[in-house]
Amino acid sequence: MKSLTLEGATFWYPATESPALREVSLEVAQGEVVALVGALGAGASTLLLVAADLAPRVTGGRLAGAVARRDRSGIVLPTPWTQASGMAFTVWDEVAFGPANLAWPTHEIARQVDRALERLELIPLASRDPTTLSGGELQRVIIAAILAMDPGLVLFDEPAAELDAGGARTLWRLIRLLAKEGKAVLLATSALDALPDVADRVVWLEDGAVRAVGTPDLLADVAACDAGLGTSVATVWRASGLPGPYPLTVAHAVQRWR
Amino acid sequence: MTGRRLHPFTLLAIAAALPALAWILPAPAGGAATAGIGLALAASRGLRRGLWPAVLTAAPFWLFLLLLHDVPTTIAIGLRITTMVASFVWLVAALEPARLVEAMVAAGWSASVAYLLAATLSAVPVLKARAKRIVEAQRCRGLSPRGGIAARLRALRALALPLVLSALHEVDERALALETRGLVPGIHRTPLAPPPDPAVERALRWVLLLACLFALIRRFM
Repeated sequence: MKSLTLEGATFWYPATESPALREVSLEVAQGEVVALVGALGAGASTLLLVAADLAPRVTGGRLAGAVARRDRSGIVLPTPWTQASGMAFTVWDEVAFGPANLAWPTHEIARQVDRALERLELIPLASRDPTTLSGGELQRVIIAAILAMDPGLVLFDEPAAELDAGGARTLWRLIRLLAKEGKAVLLATSALDALPDVADRVVWLEDGAVRAVGTPDLLADVAACDAGLGTSVATVWRASGLPGPYPLTVAHAVQRWR
Repeated sequence: MTGRRLHPFTLLAIAAALPALAWILPAPAGGAATAGIGLALAASRGLRRGLWPAVLTAAPFWLFLLLLHDVPTTIAIGLRITTMVASFVWLVAALEPARLVEAMVAAGWSASVAYLLAATLSAVPVLKARAKRIVEAQRCRGLSPRGGIAARLRALRALALPLVLSALHEVDERALALETRGLVPGIHRTPLAPPPDPAVERALRWVLLLACLFALIRRFM
């Protein structure tokens, strides 16, 4: 079942003539992880804002085309320090901020918050003051805060940007788990090496428009590598002058050598 | 009375009543009394966090008043302004925005209105912390905030511009974040830990209100 459907979505930010998104058509189904890749300014973040119903409702601007959302969405923005409520004494309170705004009963808030903290391995930090956390810890808290609101459509904008390698691995596992539970996940990331294991589909955005859609194999495509959107293995393979098709992962490269 | 354990509404009531009484009660005795209480409250939050900010903020007003008025008028208005400044400094230092939101939501206020008020009160320490980070960053680039007037003006410009621009930029991002976290107009938030509001504090708030009304009536009789 489709959680999000965009048909010919074109979006202009306020006071701009050139659209940030051009005729984008995309569907994200429940249980599916779709990754948006592209160069800076390609429109991935804007697409997430449109999907979250924040653009143009909050950002201003103009939207043409159709956007249909079946589920309530939650978006994790790339800057955790601007997403903290500033109204919490502890990490637990910070994660509970969103569920409390949904006017849930307190026992349901507690259940969702504890579950989200556990999933992000944040239980040891539950009583810490959020202002004392590192960037990576705060990013995990914000992700937990969004998940505690139990959105059907989860949108991530560069979720691993502040995380260390271990934190990023936990996050990628969690995203697969969310999909397994039936949530739809739309993800904008430059962590391309993680996508073969995380994404079901990859959408390549260029100058606000969809250039290609496919499986993660797209990231070993010659054109994607030329555009700097190949995985590390594919990029090294290409830089070595070895013939295509380029391998996507280390495992693929090993297979090719044998 | 540091204010740490008082209900947020009581803190607000005290911070509002003191300046009101300062302007209503006859000068200079009324102003002296309220300024004394205000400065004592500010001092209760610590010298660096309470008293010095209050004194340093009020000092320029005294200077300008002295330039514009005679000494009795300067004392009368200066004490009233000192009361206002000290009360506000004490309130900002003593009031925890999260407790205010909880108290307002528990009292039936809209969560977005409560957040707006609390965010306004917490803006001072947030901007102060950001200004400190910007000064440190500018120092790393070789800009010194010390020296002559010209050097200090250069440093001020290097502080003010990024401070204002980053604050404006953050407003946009924060609006997006709060929306996605469910803080939208008209919501009825679940209070998580509403602060206790003892009967004695509720009575104190009524006493403050009645004292202001009584002083006002006396003033015009």
